[in-house]
Amino acid sequence: MSTGILTGIKLGLISCESCGLLSRPADVNEPGYCPRCGEELVFRRHNAIQRTWALIIAAAICYIPANLMPVMITTTLGSPEADTIMGGIVFLYLSGSWPLALIVLIASVVIPLAKLVALAYLLITVQRRSIRGQHERTRLYRLVEIIGRWSMLDVFVDTFVVALIQLQPLMAVVPGMGVLFFAAVVVLTMIAAESFDPRLIWDSSSEKEDEND
Amino acid sequence: MTDNVDLNNIPQATAELKKHRRFSVVWIIPILAAVVALGIAVQRILTEGPTITIVFKTAEGVEEGKTYLKYKDVNIGQVKTVKLSGDFVKVVVTAKMDKSATGLMVEDAKFWIEKPRVTLSGVTGIGTLLSGNYIGFDVGKSKKAGRKFIGLEVPPAIKIDQLGRRFLLQADDLGSVGIGSPVYYRRLQVGQVIGYDLAADGRSVDIKVFVNAPYDNYVTNATRFWQASGVDVSLGANGLNVQTQSVLSLLIGGIAFETPPSASEAKPAAAGTVFALYSDRTAATAKHEAIVQPYVLYFNESLRGLSVGAPVTFLGLPVGEVTGIGLEYNAATDVLRPRVDVALYPGRFRAFVKNASAVVDEKVQNAGQRHALVQNMVDRGVRAQLRSGSLVTGQLYIALDRFPDAPKAKIDWTKSPPEIPVVPGSLQILENKINGILAKIDKMPLEAIGEDLKKLLVTTDQTMKRVDTEITPELKTTLEDLKRVLKSTDATLVGKDAPAQQDLRDALQEMTRAARAIRVFTDYLERHPEALIRGKTKEKP
Repeated sequence: MSTGILTGIKLGLISCESCGLLSRPADVNEPGYCPRCGEELVFRRHNAIQRTWALIIAAAICYIPANLMPVMITTTLGSPEADTIMGGIVFLYLSGSWPLALIVLIASVVIPLAKLVALAYLLITVQRRSIRGQHERTRLYRLVEIIGRWSMLDVFVDTFVVALIQLQPLMAVVPGMGVLFFAAVVVLTMIAAESFDPRLIWDSSSEKEDEND
Repeated sequence: MTDNVDLNNIPQATAELKKHRRFSVVWIIPILAAVVALGIAVQRILTEGPTITIVFKTAEGVEEGKTYLKYKDVNIGQVKTVKLSGDFVKVVVTAKMDKSATGLMVEDAKFWIEKPRVTLSGVTGIGTLLSGNYIGFDVGKSKKAGRKFIGLEVPPAIKIDQLGRRFLLQADDLGSVGIGSPVYYRRLQVGQVIGYDLAADGRSVDIKVFVNAPYDNYVTNATRFWQASGVDVSLGANGLNVQTQSVLSLLIGGIAFETPPSASEAKPAAAGTVFALYSDRTAATAKHEAIVQPYVLYFNESLRGLSVGAPVTFLGLPVGEVTGIGLEYNAATDVLRPRVDVALYPGRFRAFVKNASAVVDEKVQNAGQRHALVQNMVDRGVRAQLRSGSLVTGQLYIALDRFPDAPKAKIDWTKSPPEIPVVPGSLQILENKINGILAKIDKMPLEAIGEDLKKLLVTTDQTMKRVDTEITPELKTTLEDLKRVLKSTDATLVGKDAPAQQDLRDALQEMTRAARAIRVFTDYLERHPEALIRGKTKEKP
């Protein structure tokens, strides 16, 4: 054998994603179930790359209307006013509360976009079997997974405001279509991050070593 | 147990991951997202209305992305940008219209900024105090689409779908009329002034009025319009005349119209018909005479109190007016004489004749027949006379009335204008009579009478003096004698021991006794009525 890292796939072993038990797969094509906890065993998550791509693309499509369409329609004394996410940020910034504007900007615009870009980057590097910065990429993946849920801030505020401010006919707040798309972006990126298999990042390095041998 | 794992016993997995070439179901998600997003985008593009620009002088209360465009209070668009024009003179407002409003964006569509306005005729736009200003809209008539508009400074007074008709009035000056000033018909507000402008040649003012349906049918080609602003006080032969419309028109002016009754068969005027705007009702109604027949009158008396415009009446009905007063030099006699020009309106005669027929019409219309009619009237003694319309003001008017005693006269129709014979005015006659009386008084020998009276008084005085000196002493002695006589009479009749009184007392006593005897007798008779027959019976012992 070589100095290379021994991997389960190389040895024909499979570890359970749930309880971590190393076992021999029932069959290479259909590894079967974990003998200890009953979890379905997979060498790598099924279609991880394809599925993640699909979800990222869907999220990217939703990202456009999420930012173009109003997330909130405020009706004050009969004159409705539609606000988009960027409109809200500009309003906050112009009215002097730039820290708030920054928070909203990061939580609602930058993070979803960064997640999309990060996942796309991870997928591309995996597909190109890059062996550079594997540690950094793994850390990036962890960050994407952790930070994902915080983007729901906007949706959260929206639902609160809509539920609380219903003072017809003085003032009323109605959710806009934008918030639906925004929620879709957040959920889709979260699922995409979930369906990505970080072990893929390391597969290429072992393959490269094999080739070097 | 597992110390010596025989790796060879573990089955060899294929190093390469089996590639699932088939299309993953998960791709439905992005396809779905794309379809929804595209659907929304397509819907947006399809409902995209036109973008228009409106130029205003100021953009009071117009905000980017907040101000709406409203037609009949329905949102039809929204303001996108508000910018100054290139030369910084105007404001250019860009608005995104709804797809449904595309058809409304025609060349002559009107836009204005709706805001609270307080005018004398009312308050509008209260709602904008709360909701903010918005851009009002009214559709135009043109079929051509337009994208660039000039905003109005004030909302149009008449909305395009309001039923009625517009008319153009030409006036010498605007008076106190303004946009929104009411238009009255029989003191009922039936319309309003919607605009005014100086005529192109600067010689008159064009005032646009709108008369609401159904009142617009009362505007005929014969209709007269006049300024009904304020109070019209006129002092004429008819006395003090005060004309007002409503209090509102006192403040903001107004226009009234009326159709002369003689033009009752006239058809409603077409929209846009041009009318003259008269300064007052009198002017408006007086000038509608189709036929004007001028005459001249030569009075031989003072014309003081007669003014141009004074009425000429026939049997008390106004049939004309004085058009000129002056003097005329007669070269033949070398004298100046007062000359009064009058205009008679045969049309008015016609209007007063209730059982008017074609014959009368013919007499009025045809000049020859009209002359014959007037000559006929003069033959019957109709003469012009100056009369006092009001003793207080001293205003005069001219009356055509019947004077059967007047000397015969014939109108010379060759002269222009022909002369109507006159008779002296009633005041003149009165004056003449008083003058006659005064002349008679003047003729009396008042001085001689005074002399005689004086002489008489002197004689009387002398007589009185003689009475004083000669008769008074005599009278005194007479009176003393009389006093003496009365005194003696007193002693005889009234004194205590006066013989006359003594006699009277005795006589009264006698009478008392006689009365007593009669009573005794009647008592006896009552008890013994038979005594009247048998006589007095003897008393039983």
